[in-house]
Amino acid sequence: MKWPGHRFVITLFVVVVSLWLVAMTALMRASALPPEANGTMLVVFEPGIDRNIAFASIVNAGAKPVRETAFGFIWVVQGDEAGTAGKLEAQGALGTYRDLPISPTVAGCIAVADAKVSNAFGL
Amino acid sequence: MTPQTIQRSPWYFLPTMVLIAGCIVAIVNFGLRSTLGLFTAPITEFHQWPRETYSFAIALQNLVWGIMTPVAGALADKYGSARVLITGAVIYALGLSTMNYADGPLVLHLSAGLLVGTGVALSSFGIVMAALGRIVPPEKRSWAFGLATASGSLGQFIFSPIAAGMIAAYGWNTALLVLAASSLLIIPFALPFLVQNSSVSQQMEGETSLTMTQAIAKAFGQTSFLLLASGFFVCGFQLAFITVHLPPFLAEHGISNEFAGFSMGLIGLFNVIGSYTSGIIGGRGKKRFPLSLIYLLRSVVLTLFLVLPITQTSTVMFTAALGLLWLSTVPLTMGLVTVMFGTRYMATLYGFVFLSHQIGSFLGVWLGGKLYDVYGSYDFVWWMSVALGLFAAIVHFPIREQRVATFATA
Repeated sequence: MKWPGHRFVITLFVVVVSLWLVAMTALMRASALPPEANGTMLVVFEPGIDRNIAFASIVNAGAKPVRETAFGFIWVVQGDEAGTAGKLEAQGALGTYRDLPISPTVAGCIAVADAKVSNAFGL
Repeated sequence: MTPQTIQRSPWYFLPTMVLIAGCIVAIVNFGLRSTLGLFTAPITEFHQWPRETYSFAIALQNLVWGIMTPVAGALADKYGSARVLITGAVIYALGLSTMNYADGPLVLHLSAGLLVGTGVALSSFGIVMAALGRIVPPEKRSWAFGLATASGSLGQFIFSPIAAGMIAAYGWNTALLVLAASSLLIIPFALPFLVQNSSVSQQMEGETSLTMTQAIAKAFGQTSFLLLASGFFVCGFQLAFITVHLPPFLAEHGISNEFAGFSMGLIGLFNVIGSYTSGIIGGRGKKRFPLSLIYLLRSVVLTLFLVLPITQTSTVMFTAALGLLWLSTVPLTMGLVTVMFGTRYMATLYGFVFLSHQIGSFLGVWLGGKLYDVYGSYDFVWWMSVALGLFAAIVHFPIREQRVATFATA
């Protein structure tokens, strides 16, 4: 009887992590905010955007930067006026999401994937 | 159970299926438990309870988990792991769903504390490892223990963000019900363990003819068993202290909460690698030497972290190194139980060793807070952890890594 080895373990863990990414992307979709939303939110821009441009876009949308993440394209912002989410998207943000109680860096990376897919398919 | 028996069995008894099932059970069991801290704020705010109400329920859960683990082990050794895992999954689901309807502290303590604690114990990876220990050939045993432990670690890593996302997207009530339903996933994945199921504890070839009571008494009469349990006590102390008190310690040194959370995530990620690797190492030679080395390295890593300036870089290096040493003690400890006492009562005897781990966890969390209040800093408990690590490194050396005479073939 042949027992599996390291290749089996790698395959299994890759499958589990892939399923996890699918679940997380679905959750991010459910956490996407409508244009009229305000409050504390996660905002993602195009990866590679200049940090200063992202900052300026947030300010121009009337929101206040709360936390900057390890990546300059993911920010946690506070918008007191209704419609902050829509204004951020008008300023070039890919998407806005509820501020989840997990690392914004991790959530932001998954949010970028979600935003790209939803924009591509008009979701 | 011999490999020949498996060869004649249906597809779901095939080695690959048994291993996949063990991994999924470990992922779900450990993963779900790691999400409960996320419900502290929403539940206490909804009911307007003090934080202590929820904290007590989780503390009770840890205590029940520790106490019930030897009981779960004894049931698994007597009735087979599959039945115990299935029962555990149902109790786990019942506990999580009842938390949703807890309108007073008593119901919360009974659900989140008693029921979830019992469910976690009955469906834990200790029960999975005991089943794997009987099913896989001896030369693959340590590797399988490492795989089961790594799966549990992976569960912790992947379930927390999912639960956090569900709380934010659908609310804590729905999130709890979804998690309760998730715990029932354990049931279909417990079925492959019927391959080693038995209605009564059967003496297998090469295993002891002692009764369970005799086996427990004989094990507690062995100095090596007591040394192993005392080493695992240290493991529980260090891990629980660091899990609960590292974020506030980092905050005192100017490290942001977000970065602390990221660092704790690193522990989980590197823990997967460390646990799996230690299982491989344990299969290649003596287990007590790598176990001693792990505790020694923990003390070295803790010392370096304490004496060097605490920065984001040192925090990342500390948590990554600690992650490699985190649950890597588990496959080796389980392996030593198996070497000394065989597989017939391994779940029960490992359960007692794990109880010692949980007592250490309780003291690590409690003393961390208590001594902080007394001294106004965590320094004393950090250095206590260093000293305990050295103690654990030393106590594993005299362990006699061979089958105890009374547990030898009848």
